[in-house]
Amino acid sequence: MAEYIPPLYQETLANGLNLLGVEYSRVPWVSLTFMVKRGAECDPPDKAGVADWTAEFLTLGTARRSQRQLAEDVEALGARLKARAGWDATYISLEGLAEDFTALMTLLAEVVQTPRFPEEEFPLLRERRRAELAQVLDDPRELATRYFQRLFFQGAPYGHAVRGEPESLEAITLVDLVAHYGREYTPEAATLVVVGMVPREQVVQEAGRTWGGWRGGGPASPTYTAAPSRTCPPGLYLLDRPELAQSEIRLGHLGVPRQHSDFFPLRLVNYILGEGGFSSRLMLRIRSELGLTYGIRSRFHFRRAPGPFTVATFTPAENTGRVVREIQAVMQEVKENGVTLQELTEAQSYYVGHFPLSLETPWALARQIATIDLHELGWDYLCRYCEQIKGVTLGAAAQAAKAHLQPEALVTLVVGPAAKISQDLGELAPVIQVGEI
Amino acid sequence: MTRAEPLNLSGWQPAIDIVPYRLENGLHLLVVPDESLPVVSLQLHYQVGSRNELPGITGISHLFEHLMFRGTKELGPEEFARLLQAKGGEINAFTTKDHTSYFENLPKEHLELALSLEVDRLANLKLDEENFQTEKEVVISERKLRSVDSPFGLVEEQLYSLAYTQHPYQWPVIGRAQDLRRLTLADCLAYYRTYYHPGNLTVVIAGDVRPEEARELVEKHFGSLKSPGSPAPLEVREPPQRGERRSVFKKVSQVEAFFAGFHVVGLDHPDIYPLTLLAVVLSGGRASRLYQEFVRPGRAADLEAYLAPPPWSARDPDLFLIRAVAAPGTDLAGLEADLWSSLERLKTEGLQEAELARAKKILKAQTVQGLAQNFYRGLMVGLFYLKTGDAQRINGLLQYYEQVTRDDLIRVARNYLREDNRSVVILKPVSAEESLALGELA
Repeated sequence: MAEYIPPLYQETLANGLNLLGVEYSRVPWVSLTFMVKRGAECDPPDKAGVADWTAEFLTLGTARRSQRQLAEDVEALGARLKARAGWDATYISLEGLAEDFTALMTLLAEVVQTPRFPEEEFPLLRERRRAELAQVLDDPRELATRYFQRLFFQGAPYGHAVRGEPESLEAITLVDLVAHYGREYTPEAATLVVVGMVPREQVVQEAGRTWGGWRGGGPASPTYTAAPSRTCPPGLYLLDRPELAQSEIRLGHLGVPRQHSDFFPLRLVNYILGEGGFSSRLMLRIRSELGLTYGIRSRFHFRRAPGPFTVATFTPAENTGRVVREIQAVMQEVKENGVTLQELTEAQSYYVGHFPLSLETPWALARQIATIDLHELGWDYLCRYCEQIKGVTLGAAAQAAKAHLQPEALVTLVVGPAAKISQDLGELAPVIQVGEI
Repeated sequence: MTRAEPLNLSGWQPAIDIVPYRLENGLHLLVVPDESLPVVSLQLHYQVGSRNELPGITGISHLFEHLMFRGTKELGPEEFARLLQAKGGEINAFTTKDHTSYFENLPKEHLELALSLEVDRLANLKLDEENFQTEKEVVISERKLRSVDSPFGLVEEQLYSLAYTQHPYQWPVIGRAQDLRRLTLADCLAYYRTYYHPGNLTVVIAGDVRPEEARELVEKHFGSLKSPGSPAPLEVREPPQRGERRSVFKKVSQVEAFFAGFHVVGLDHPDIYPLTLLAVVLSGGRASRLYQEFVRPGRAADLEAYLAPPPWSARDPDLFLIRAVAAPGTDLAGLEADLWSSLERLKTEGLQEAELARAKKILKAQTVQGLAQNFYRGLMVGLFYLKTGDAQRINGLLQYYEQVTRDDLIRVARNYLREDNRSVVILKPVSAEESLALGELA
């Protein structure tokens, strides 16, 4: 085991809450992360955003402090309190200077354990979200990403924006947030991660004092692990935005869950296909050779249940049809013929060489530890990581590409000026015009 | 990693070891050793940015940054990035108003490879018409992404061109659309000869390397390069603004907004510290004045006072920015008037000691956070050096903030946040049809 991999410690507190920690010595910083292992996939179908709104609401007042008092007390420490839902988990984190560790731990415990749910804050939260949404929908990149997700999953649990959809603004009530908190925030389904310049003994002692007596709610919702019963039929979908100079392009199909045994081969294949920047085939072809975009990226979204595989890019409107064709061709080539030994070796070398950089900061370490816990990857995961990357063979990579890339069954969404692109796109496949969300 | 020891953490100050060298050809090297992890950050900062450009060739610094990845006599396009990524490296570059920076964060055993590739592209860059045209198209696409199709990109561009009448900060780093189209390969070759040589280069190596070893490696690879000497220093000064300037920008948008800018100071001026603290007092965090007064009650979707903190601050006097996005249903003119009233109150009534203490603590935390990464350590050292000639300022940074008083904040607010010193651009939403009728966005 490389000597720079920091030892991870684990304790179970009296109430069953899992505590994970790492001592960090480079700068006097501490990152505290409370993770509930339920996220936006638990949102009711017509109330997208409940998990995320609940998380933010915790920061808007506790039994002891008003929103303003809490903000003043956190920021007087120079600290940052963040609360957000993701897929499969929700994170409430507080980061600050190690000199304030005890105060930070007390504040985070108070936020999570004794929220006040002040009624007067709810309409303010809703109006802020309304304003945010108006801004987000002005950004073609955000719009395309959100629209694709919704179009693709057709109402399945991963098929909405984590922060909420336009209809959520009227649908979600304070009662929904209180109910979500009461159900999902329980020690049995949560973990506290502490990375910082604080000795283990002190962390364990403080965690026991501030978290050990918390009972929480529950029982938490069952975990969501199944593939959706249906997704959007493959095809070419167009959202007309006449004012845009460029088209935003999103395409994809269903991927695999994080626990899938092909995780490592797929990660390497995807690096070669479209995640490896200038080392990737999509970037090489569409940017370097053709100059048709500034950036392109493919990604498997590894989650507890199968997440999507997506390719995202943009191009001046007149190139749209060509770019879609080129992406399909590059995917087809990788699926049929796999990757080369040199490509695989370089991708492996990238992940192994890059590994120490991923351990450099307290927040990066905290994020890795939370992910290891969420997906039950094993406490020795960091120690085994490089071996697993190096162990992927050319055959395994080829098999993973063949099994999991589906260039023939892509859902393709273009957000752009229809007048400039419809004809060109129509030569690829029938174009289905879609309306605003 | 070593075990954490109980320390007197509250008195902690940065104590970054900086070992400077100068090669005979004028190259400056700063080594920032740290053995925590077996990695290094290699950074090459060329002292050229959009402030060195002229009308007609705006955007050339940034376009040139792209060309540096297009291959050399030995290497094909993007092979530079591929070779280093294959060793685990993070490779990128960025261009600002004041400098163009290239970096590689990678395992320490590959430092020499990175140095050899950097010197190769400095000495043997392959600039041909085909490479040039391909990359020009990429940059035009990037401009559309960052400026034209982004919600506020063109609004901010218009603000800078309104506020500056003579100084090169009036044009965007990405360049003006017309200039990008007309730039030629010959322009780029002339630019390459003028600015890309050891006399205009500062190299920073931060991480697990012994200083003397780093110097030997840099000497070995860069030492034989000739330099025509540093380019003549560029002294440009924006005349004081003598009255408010306003303009309107119409585009398709769901929101109304205004962007405002006040001329302030550059990094080397001592007022940069109270001004940075003032921006944090105004909008840093949810306890801040503008958040509590406008964002929390739902009048503004976003309201931010922003000035890049040292050492990210511009070298010459920059704008202290206000970015205000009205919440749906809020009257923009009323929001603007109330914002200026709020600033007037600060100037006349002052602020509480707790507000200043909070801002100082927030900036201390941000500084400590940055220093957790080799890359940012190196950048902070390098940028202080590049823009002020004094890398050691990184170690005094927290003390500079500490020394600022409430009276300093009131003084700078009165001095700089004046109506006569202000430029304002209003974003006025129009329909897609109206937008098309107004002509092409560029």
